[in-house]
Amino acid sequence: MTHNKDMTILEIKNLQKHFGGVYAVDGLSLKIEKGRITALVGPNGSGKSTLINVLTGLLPIDGGVVAVRGAELQYIVSQKIPDYGITRTFQNVRLFEQMPVLDNILLILTERNVFGALFERHGESHLKKAEEVLRLVGLWEKRSELAINLSYGQRKLLEIGRAYAMNSDIYLFDEPFSGLFPAMVKTVEEVFHALKASGKTIILVEHDMGLIRRLTDYVFVLDSGKLLAEGIPDEVLGRKEVVEAYLGE
Amino acid sequence: MNYILHLGTFFGIYAILGISLNLLVGGTGLIWIAHAAIFGLGAYVLALLMTKVALNFFLAAFLGMCIAGIVGCIAAWVFARLSGDYYMLASVAFNYIIVSVFINWESLTNGPLGISGISRPSLFGISFAGNESFFALTFLFLGLVYVSARLIMHSSFGRVIKAIREDEEAIRVFGYHTLLYKIMISGIAAAMAALAGALFASYIAFIDPSNFHVMESIFILGIVVVGGFASIRGSLLGALILVLLPEVLRFAGFPQDISAHMQQLVYGIVLILFMLYRPQGLIGEYKF
Amino acid sequence: MEIFAQLVANSVIAGATYTILTLGFNLIYGATRFTNMAYGVVAATGGYAFFFLTRTVGLPMIPSIIAGALFSGVVGVLTDRLIFSPLRKKNVRPSVHVIASLGAFVAIQALLSIFFGAEFWTLLPSGTVRVFDVAGASVTEVQWWIMGIAAAVSGLLFVVLRFTLFGKVVRALSDDEEVGKMLGINTDRTIGIVFFIGSMIAGLGGILVGFDTGIQPTMGLFILIEAAVPSIIGGIGNLAGGVIAAFLFGFVENFGIWFIASQWKAAIAFGLLTLFLIFKPEGIMGKK
Repeated sequence: MTHNKDMTILEIKNLQKHFGGVYAVDGLSLKIEKGRITALVGPNGSGKSTLINVLTGLLPIDGGVVAVRGAELQYIVSQKIPDYGITRTFQNVRLFEQMPVLDNILLILTERNVFGALFERHGESHLKKAEEVLRLVGLWEKRSELAINLSYGQRKLLEIGRAYAMNSDIYLFDEPFSGLFPAMVKTVEEVFHALKASGKTIILVEHDMGLIRRLTDYVFVLDSGKLLAEGIPDEVLGRKEVVEAYLGE
Repeated sequence: MNYILHLGTFFGIYAILGISLNLLVGGTGLIWIAHAAIFGLGAYVLALLMTKVALNFFLAAFLGMCIAGIVGCIAAWVFARLSGDYYMLASVAFNYIIVSVFINWESLTNGPLGISGISRPSLFGISFAGNESFFALTFLFLGLVYVSARLIMHSSFGRVIKAIREDEEAIRVFGYHTLLYKIMISGIAAAMAALAGALFASYIAFIDPSNFHVMESIFILGIVVVGGFASIRGSLLGALILVLLPEVLRFAGFPQDISAHMQQLVYGIVLILFMLYRPQGLIGEYKF
Repeated sequence: MEIFAQLVANSVIAGATYTILTLGFNLIYGATRFTNMAYGVVAATGGYAFFFLTRTVGLPMIPSIIAGALFSGVVGVLTDRLIFSPLRKKNVRPSVHVIASLGAFVAIQALLSIFFGAEFWTLLPSGTVRVFDVAGASVTEVQWWIMGIAAAVSGLLFVVLRFTLFGKVVRALSDDEEVGKMLGINTDRTIGIVFFIGSMIAGLGGILVGFDTGIQPTMGLFILIEAAVPSIIGGIGNLAGGVIAAFLFGFVENFGIWFIASQWKAAIAFGLLTLFLIFKPEGIMGKK
């Protein structure tokens, strides 16, 4: 399977991100194809999470350009990423802790505009959509529970539900499977299948090679902020230099 | 009876202050020690408009709320990028600067001597000069403020404000322009505080800069602490307790010249004890 | 030209005083990582202790200075043992420490008012004071003492922090408390000692401020700002930066008064703080 240039939905051109003298992302260039599940792998410190943070505006771009659907962006503002059709989860699960599960989802569904939000109380349609999302990740029964009281796995599921509720085009999942029991892994896989069936694009940072081989269509291997290899999982993950990069960590 | 009305009126004024500060602090999760300055701004605007231009109380109060609202918005915008400690120090600086203006701009504010002769409200011939009617007016405004605060916190806006408190960076990722929300809640809180200031000025008929120092801001924060962060009802309870406290202490019979300081000592100890043993306040639920 | 020389002299003296205050503040902040709002009033207790010892007990100046500083040290370490250490053990967020320190600030200021009255006292007996002429500026003997003490204490602190084991421990703590714990340092006890030393320095600063402008219970807030502003401008944790900033602050304040009336001195200080907080919170030297 080669890369179909017309189907590029997200492109990173020569991206740089450094902290002091450390180049976390060092001249990275890659193309993400629409509708695929693409994995970002690499040893710790290879720049995967930094890349996600840059793409979602949490860290400023130091060099290079990000292009969404061909439109080039010199800088990315967090609150605008939904406008670009992007949403994400966080590696260290960032929920709205002292708020109920339901509210964590309602936030995604309600009015963004300051004045609009002031005069809006959530209604039937919001609740219906929230129920749909929460049932998908199996948290509807826990809807009144404060997020801080959920188990680790439930918290990860809530984050994934939150991203799902955004109904974006491009999903950036940062280690969504880590620490989950098999039953929950299955739930997340179902979410992924549902997203893919709707034509959404998924970018996945993940360590579990088995999951990657089973779920993803394409893999980018990063090392020290640079692109080491790319291709179909079965083909790329066995390559010598990829294995060495992991062993060397 | 007059005594109870007096306490009740003070309760009303401080409850409005507590509720408005709670919206700001309980919403954003930051410590703001300048609410007394906004309180004073409302009081001074009303006092000046009523004594120099003979403007009607209600109109003057409304103008005070508008001016304070704008000042609150500007302050929020200017201090937005500051984190916890710095934000708090900036608010102290802000309070100090505003009170400095009250003291030093003598041609306008009459400086340390203050402004006297502020009359009670009247509207279309109905006078609120009597203590009963003023108390009723205060309670009416308290009711409006209370209901507004509840509506705000139960709206989608309120949900966003709470999320900003929880994790501002994360909520932005989902498309919220958090700065605008912080500016809006600051403006609303400031307008409410100015209303309290207008009531205060009209009630005691005389104001001077010493009413609005940083200490007073700490006291208002105490109302929020005792009642509970992010709990509107808590602010009512906090105001009740902190307004009654001096009266209770009065019966302990301290000599006149130190009784005010004894009250202050007790407030300080109350703040410390609450932080040690019940940081969420009496009926607050926010877990620290 | 003489005015210029006088302003320079006054600036240097002010800078010397602020240096002392900033050093103590920086030391404690480095170990505790929250803005201790009670710092200023603890400094004031030193001034009051000196006042009590010289006026009421009749002790000579030098022992009174030492005892006054020690007294502040004790007050400071008491706030740590009674309030902040228990809070650290409960692992609460910094805001809780800050609010508790507000309570301590209010309570201690009240105690000073109760024991000494709310009015203003001068620390030095009036009468003939030796004045020296330095390039057209008048510098009193006391002001020379202030500069000498400031230099001595700064030098001593620098030596201790740089070359002693304790100093190294404190610096490790201020970099990262977790690292400190891992190294097996009894962080709680070390923080207690840091509180004692930092508060002692604060007390010394309070006495120096008292020499210059007298004492009153409300001086605590302004001392806090005088300590916090250079700390922030110099970069929190950066002692050398703090010293530079302290002198800068002294210069801006004194030359600022030349252009604007002296009653705005406080507003200048607070305005400067606000500007720095907004535009360069990481300080002149750029270290966070």
